[in-house]
Amino acid sequence: MQIVLSGLATGAIYGLVAMAFAIAFYVTRVINFAQGQLLMVAVMVTAALSRAGWPTGVAIVAGLVAAVVFGALIYLLAVRPVLAFDRFSFAWLVSTLGVATILEAGAALIWGPTSRGFPTMLNGRPVHLLGAVISLQQVLAIAAGVVAVAAFELFRRRTLFGKLGMAIAADPEMASAIGANTQAVAVAAFALAGLLAGVAGVLVGPITFANPYIGSTFGINGFVALMIGGIERPAGAMAGGLLLGVLSQLANTEINSQASDWFPFVIVVVVLLLRPSGLFSGARWPRLRLARPS
Amino acid sequence: MTQSSAVSITAPALAVASLSAGYGRFDVVRDVSLDIAAGEAVALLGPNGAGKTTVLRAIMGLVARRSGSVRVGGIETVGMSVHQVARGHAALVPEGRRLFLNQSVEDNLLLGALHLRRDRARVAALLASVYELFPVLRDYRHRMSAALSGGEQQMVAIGRMMMSDPAVMLLDEPSLGLAPLAIEAVGQALLRLREQGRSLLLVEQRVDLALQVCDRLYVLTGGAVVQQSRTADVDPESRALIDAYLG
Amino acid sequence: MIRRAAVLVVVAGYALITLTVARGSLYDQSLVLTAACFGILAISLDMVAGMTGLYSLGHAGLFAVGAYATTLLNLHQNMGVFTTLPIVVIGTGGLGLIIGSLSLRVSGLYFAITTFIFTLVVGVLASDLSITGGLQGLPGPLFPNFPDSLTGLGSSVAWCIMLALALTIFLAWAIRRSALHPVLLAIRDAEPFAAAAGVRTAVVKIGLFGLSAALAGLAGWAFSFLGVVSPGQFSWNVSVSILVMVIIGGINTTVGPLIGAAFVSMFPAYVNFSALWQELLFGALFVVVIVFVPQGVAGLLAQLWRRLRPRAGAPAGITDDRPATSTAKAGWAGERVGGESPVAVECRGVTFSYLRPVNAVDGVDMVVRRGTIHGLIGPNGSGKSTLVNLIAGQHRPDAGTIRVNGADLAGAGPWARPRHGLARTFQTAVLVKELPARSNVAIGRYARVPHIAARAPVWPLLPSAHRDSRALAAQADAALALVGMGAWAGQRVAQVPHGVEQLTQLAAAAVSGSRVLVLDEPLAGLSQNEVDHVAAILRDLRDAGVTVIVIEHQVRFVFDVCDEVTVLSAGALVTSGPAAEVRENARVREVYLGQ
Repeated sequence: MQIVLSGLATGAIYGLVAMAFAIAFYVTRVINFAQGQLLMVAVMVTAALSRAGWPTGVAIVAGLVAAVVFGALIYLLAVRPVLAFDRFSFAWLVSTLGVATILEAGAALIWGPTSRGFPTMLNGRPVHLLGAVISLQQVLAIAAGVVAVAAFELFRRRTLFGKLGMAIAADPEMASAIGANTQAVAVAAFALAGLLAGVAGVLVGPITFANPYIGSTFGINGFVALMIGGIERPAGAMAGGLLLGVLSQLANTEINSQASDWFPFVIVVVVLLLRPSGLFSGARWPRLRLARPS
Repeated sequence: MTQSSAVSITAPALAVASLSAGYGRFDVVRDVSLDIAAGEAVALLGPNGAGKTTVLRAIMGLVARRSGSVRVGGIETVGMSVHQVARGHAALVPEGRRLFLNQSVEDNLLLGALHLRRDRARVAALLASVYELFPVLRDYRHRMSAALSGGEQQMVAIGRMMMSDPAVMLLDEPSLGLAPLAIEAVGQALLRLREQGRSLLLVEQRVDLALQVCDRLYVLTGGAVVQQSRTADVDPESRALIDAYLG
Repeated sequence: MIRRAAVLVVVAGYALITLTVARGSLYDQSLVLTAACFGILAISLDMVAGMTGLYSLGHAGLFAVGAYATTLLNLHQNMGVFTTLPIVVIGTGGLGLIIGSLSLRVSGLYFAITTFIFTLVVGVLASDLSITGGLQGLPGPLFPNFPDSLTGLGSSVAWCIMLALALTIFLAWAIRRSALHPVLLAIRDAEPFAAAAGVRTAVVKIGLFGLSAALAGLAGWAFSFLGVVSPGQFSWNVSVSILVMVIIGGINTTVGPLIGAAFVSMFPAYVNFSALWQELLFGALFVVVIVFVPQGVAGLLAQLWRRLRPRAGAPAGITDDRPATSTAKAGWAGERVGGESPVAVECRGVTFSYLRPVNAVDGVDMVVRRGTIHGLIGPNGSGKSTLVNLIAGQHRPDAGTIRVNGADLAGAGPWARPRHGLARTFQTAVLVKELPARSNVAIGRYARVPHIAARAPVWPLLPSAHRDSRALAAQADAALALVGMGAWAGQRVAQVPHGVEQLTQLAAAAVSGSRVLVLDEPLAGLSQNEVDHVAAILRDLRDAGVTVIVIEHQVRFVFDVCDEVTVLSAGALVTSGPAAEVRENARVREVYLGQ
């Protein structure tokens, strides 16, 4: 149970990042490789403001806002201009990775490459639950994961804009032909993804501290979770994250403490071989064709 | 910007003047002019590859308009982006219907009224009128649109177009792939729309459907208009029509 | 002669550069040789990504495998460096074949992701296995020095690596100059066109990936002599860096990847201020280049060159400069494949459905007699295109038989058709837009020229290859002239009007020497003038003994030009027979006009 709970907590973080990838992808068919760095931005900004004396709550909000703003900017500056040049279908891969490098190096330049402090928040407080001991922060993480998925599904299915998002995912050209400003929705999707990554960052901050290089780690893990869960459905992505978290924790305990470095890759390779579309994608077993809508 | 559905006395519903449009370096549609008076229904006929679909897409703004003008209800739409044109000026039932298959019937219809979402009363009234025209859709309102037959999907597509309350309605081969009974139903629906005073531009392969519904017809070949007539003047049996339409 | 001289100059220049580096300082050597290894990598990636459209993020992984394999074999098995070479190259080549075959199962983005994960996995293995020395890595093998008599040449490692680079450049250049290059571009942009021309696209893709992987392994082998082999040098951002090198330098060019590799790997040496600023600038460079100059340096230069060169005046439209009928007949005749049976194509009881229970084609019988123009008409959705796709091998009929020139072809893929004397065109012309018309038409002769793929890597060295290249160009030009498009032969397809594109497609099918041509809506988008033009060409073809099956909507054209007509409706046969009879058939008019 200890394993499950702490695994779920880590998994929720991965899941949030994976959901962020998935939401941006859902609307634009683009994988924003700077997603992990948006997590880092939230952490760094929150930590910096907190060190400067701002109240923790305000610092957190500022960190989240920063992640949202950068998310939108990434779409406008690095994705949209590149999508216009149709010929090269993977240009966004290069541009978003470029942005990731810029953000990482930029953060290291501004705040230095070493870890700085992050407000402890709820990290120190242990909670006894079902025979296991986890920190309140971890409980918060799991709660955040659940809330994110629930809120997203509710939004997607019940509100007009959620349905519009689904329409854009299904047929972007037709969506614009019924009056949807697909560019605006794309920016919103990237901003929302930034928010999710930011929330994940604020939740892990107390454990990882404010280090410019955490973006890569969480980005990769979030991406692996995305591949496991399924790229087509944000809810599936969260499920993938949770699964990854628990399995990694299991590997850590049963094998050795380094196992969580490489174990995720074993899982993802197995998943890709058996069911390339992801475990929770709802797609059929046979091959997946990932075509960009025109 | 919403467009009043009241028929404007002076401005034609659609006035296309010297339109040239295309995808690549060369234009698919060259110097095409056509117009639809308010409340009129016009057919656009021609062989495959003639550019009929491109004309409709150009009116919506889905294809780059290289030159010429497209005035809908008196308002110039060249220069507007697609979603602006779709907000009350023109609405399209595309070839193959292209419903949002991951959504229900009612959701597809409600999405059609996206630009009117703040005016709930109006949306409700429009929805009621769609269900009145196609009663079977009311029964199916919560069914996934992917589960409907071709004919039923076509009704939803027409309904979705009606929901946006446009100044001009564009239909691209609505009879394509439908069984004869469904084609009947489509014809009836279009006639009802005419009765309501709507303006239609109909691209069709089935000449009889076009003649049944429309006042006038244009024939397009190789991207240019080659003939114009009033449907009343056309004798469907005559070889001249066959040649003109298909050759 | 000039060409020979130019080649000698280039080779001599290269040798000189190598000599300078080999005798230069260790620092310079290290810089240049690292860039050279990345040059090999970049060129190998361009082969699959630029030429064939298979975007791989796995080349860093293959690079790592090459470097580690060399080091470990040398360390633990005590193999000499030259003994390890074939093992490493063949080993990574084999890995490449496996990864390449994955590309058949998953396409585009998913393939890129899968290869990306491959690199991640290799990286993790390198970091965590003790045999690979963990994060610190292993010292690379020592490369033997030159014997005393050759010490004047300087460092042997430098010569070795530069030679490897030269070999790679040669391979890429050879393939680019070969008759395979247009085919690769076709696989990338117009795969159905390539398949219909007789190309076994799956085999070519896998084979090319294997070659590319072997070169990546070669790069790793070479790299291991430069010092330490550690996981940090092969991380996932190296994979992206290689792609960036290719893009910045100019994708799908020979020189581009070299420029990119040189620039990216030497960048740190010149941008010498803080490591972090360097990284930042680097990232910014990625973004700026891909947004503003996606065609890369080489691409940009090529564009400028094209703009500066006075362009041979492009013809205004389709001019009817076809040769006289007698010349045309002679031109179209000549070596044709396809047997002499009186029935060119025979379909019996052909049934096929995309989605049960609806049959797209339902028990259709059709007999196409040799030497006729046979029209296939019917309303949209009647199954004409499906039937034609079945005849062309794109699908396998659920029931019934299809015989082409007497042979039962059900089950063989589209690429087998040219062998049996059948060529086809597509409803929407799929051609390689960046190539001139003549290169596209030459692709149509792929099935007639033996061993194009096998000879490609050494193409410029083979006299037979030179002959074939010249013959292909001549035949393509002749075919274009016969369709009246001679003036457009050198124009890139991206720049030609729609009608010219249609006729280029037609020429590509006709040049294949097949006795049966299947044309899917060749008149789509053509003006009346152009339609008459096509009618005349089809008559010429028929008179030269070619059987033509034409799907069309233009009734006047069909009944004027075709000898016999088959009419389909809702997947079933309505009638089939001489054109005049079919035209008067009441059911036909009903089906078409819906009366």
